[in-house]
Amino acid sequence: MSVEGVTTPIRLVTVVGARPQFVKAGAVSRAIAAHNAAPAPRSIIEKIVHTGQHYDANMSDVFFQELGLPAPAYHLGVGSGSHGAQTGAMLAGIERVLLDERPDWVLVYGDTNSTLAGALAASKLGIPVAHVEAGLRSFNRRMAEEINRVLTDRVSTRRYCPTRRAVANLAAEGMHDGVVQCGDVMYDSVLHHAARASAKSRVLERCGVAPREYVLATVHRAENTDDGERLGAIMAALAQADVPVILPLHPRTRARLGEGAASGGSLRLIDPVGYLDMLALERHARAIISDSGGVQKEAYFFRVPCVTTRPETEWVELVEAGWNRLVDADRLRVREGIAWALDFSPPTAGDGLYGDGRAAERIVADLAAA
Amino acid sequence: MKIAPLMEAFTASGQFESVLVHTGQHYDERMSELFFRQLGIPEPDINLEVGSGGHGAQTGEVMKRFEPVVEQRKPDWVIVVGDVNSTIACALVATKLGVRVAHVEAGLRSYDRTMPEEINRVLTDAISDLLLASEPGAVENLRREGIDGARVQFVGNVMIDTLLKHRARADQSRILEEIGVAPGRYVVVTLHRPSNVDRREALGELLAAFERIAAETHVVFPMHPRTRRNLEQFGFGPRVERLARLKITEPLGYLDYLKLMSASSAVLTDSGGVQEETTILGVPCLTLRPTTERPITITHGTNRLVPVGPGGFPSQEAVVGSLRTALTDRRGAGLHPPMWDGRAAERIAQCLLKA
Repeated sequence: MSVEGVTTPIRLVTVVGARPQFVKAGAVSRAIAAHNAAPAPRSIIEKIVHTGQHYDANMSDVFFQELGLPAPAYHLGVGSGSHGAQTGAMLAGIERVLLDERPDWVLVYGDTNSTLAGALAASKLGIPVAHVEAGLRSFNRRMAEEINRVLTDRVSTRRYCPTRRAVANLAAEGMHDGVVQCGDVMYDSVLHHAARASAKSRVLERCGVAPREYVLATVHRAENTDDGERLGAIMAALAQADVPVILPLHPRTRARLGEGAASGGSLRLIDPVGYLDMLALERHARAIISDSGGVQKEAYFFRVPCVTTRPETEWVELVEAGWNRLVDADRLRVREGIAWALDFSPPTAGDGLYGDGRAAERIVADLAAA
Repeated sequence: MKIAPLMEAFTASGQFESVLVHTGQHYDERMSELFFRQLGIPEPDINLEVGSGGHGAQTGEVMKRFEPVVEQRKPDWVIVVGDVNSTIACALVATKLGVRVAHVEAGLRSYDRTMPEEINRVLTDAISDLLLASEPGAVENLRREGIDGARVQFVGNVMIDTLLKHRARADQSRILEEIGVAPGRYVVVTLHRPSNVDRREALGELLAAFERIAAETHVVFPMHPRTRRNLEQFGFGPRVERLARLKITEPLGYLDYLKLMSASSAVLTDSGGVQEETTILGVPCLTLRPTTERPITITHGTNRLVPVGPGGFPSQEAVVGSLRTALTDRRGAGLHPPMWDGRAAERIAQCLLKA
């Protein structure tokens, strides 16, 4: 590739669309900047495609700014919709971008429709796909995310696994090539932002709570928000907690609750918060109740016990190590879970489950060498 | 060709209510209509009229248009066949809506990821609830991918159901007379893969091979629109016209095609289905691709792969040499892969009733 000492840069297209993906991509973008600043054989040019899957403009812009992510080169503006319509629209849009850009790699994150659409469009054009957060499995095929994960891993050339378990999951599906256990980029991100979050964020004051004296809750998965019975059970249990419960509310959940979207009992509903505020809320919570995969892990990064309102989790090592408890969306079990978390004594096992905070660095080095 | 026996088996069992959805991916009206009529397939209940496009755009469009169909009809199963964009698009839509998916022709692998069909196959199998395999190797491929064996059934080959059913009727076809060739005195060529027809050097080299073959025998070439377009575009038109013994035809209907293949001395192809059909017809088949996802047509049939050069296509020497060998050794004629007995669709109907 060398012409009189000048090397061709590696051209990378990153596809993101949902909130957690901005966090993960932010960690890798920082590592790319570091790679380009150091004397390296080949520099990397990254272009970001934002599918628009998370349609709340305010939410997305805040995230990009806070994370120091490069502004998207392309905004597809796909917006919300049924799975088929949304994925279909993304496929067409991403394909157009890839035909223009002809990148060396397409980088996708996690398990959303944006992930799958990016992976599918690229693989059909013969562009190699790298999947960050490969190998996670809930083994629940009714979850749209599980389908997205399974399919994205299948078409990927490089599969960046956060955990040993993820590597084993891929091996069980016959995938041995291109599998790299690099740690979790979300841990990188938390390490990078936690100090800044504590210094800058005023969210605890705004909510009127003191460190260790409240529970943080999130509900966003479709199987909880789109099922009145499950959502009702979770909300009822939260309202009966013995300490204040802070619940930042996803737009979809608020729409779902309608008239019921009001604070009551111990429950305090707040508007969605930016990434730094969220980190501050997580870090200082006494316990966390969540159905989000990312929040389960962030709880552990801050060594806060987590109660998961799902029947299963992709992050089984947290449950095994005693940091997380699965309670499904059953009112009594959620209440028991809260009681367990409020009376929590940290387990001695389970350090370093998600690497050492240098996952993004390893991913970039691997891509540069691949 | 794969749907016809299924629809028939569903009707015969009396226990299915089926809706036939045509995505419109194969836009050539003449091809589609001919196939539907000759095979006695009922007209599609729904035509999505998606048309051609880039892989991503086309897959996306099928998804968008198929989703409301599933939402409205709420079927117990969505049955997808083969390895085209419609296959993965419809499987994905159904799975996301919680509707079970059965994949007919599951487990075939070329292990060549540059083929879009390979991606479609791998992904469709990864999300299907019932995987219906046409050959034992496919069952093994799925096992290696960690797919639960309880979801996999070896049922045979639906396309062979169609072939066996229509073979006698195909014998009545007058296509040989129409073209002007005698039984056993010609070879058939079919080409449509991008690796063979989209690059000038590949198509030129293959054309050189056909020129050499046409010096000794007739060559009948039912031509895919894409191949025809490229021949003109690459400036090969005059070379083709000079060949007295090269007979180019429009794409043929199924019965004519079957007759043409069965009375030929050999078939040169890059199609997957033709490898299977020639195996049952006992006609030597030369596959102009580096790999096949249907290896049973080599071990239990008449198929052989023509070695491919560094450019990804075979040299004219390789094509001519392979043909010469195939015509003399007659390897595989008379062999039949297990369960290619005309009853695959019947078995599939049984599997669905039990699942």
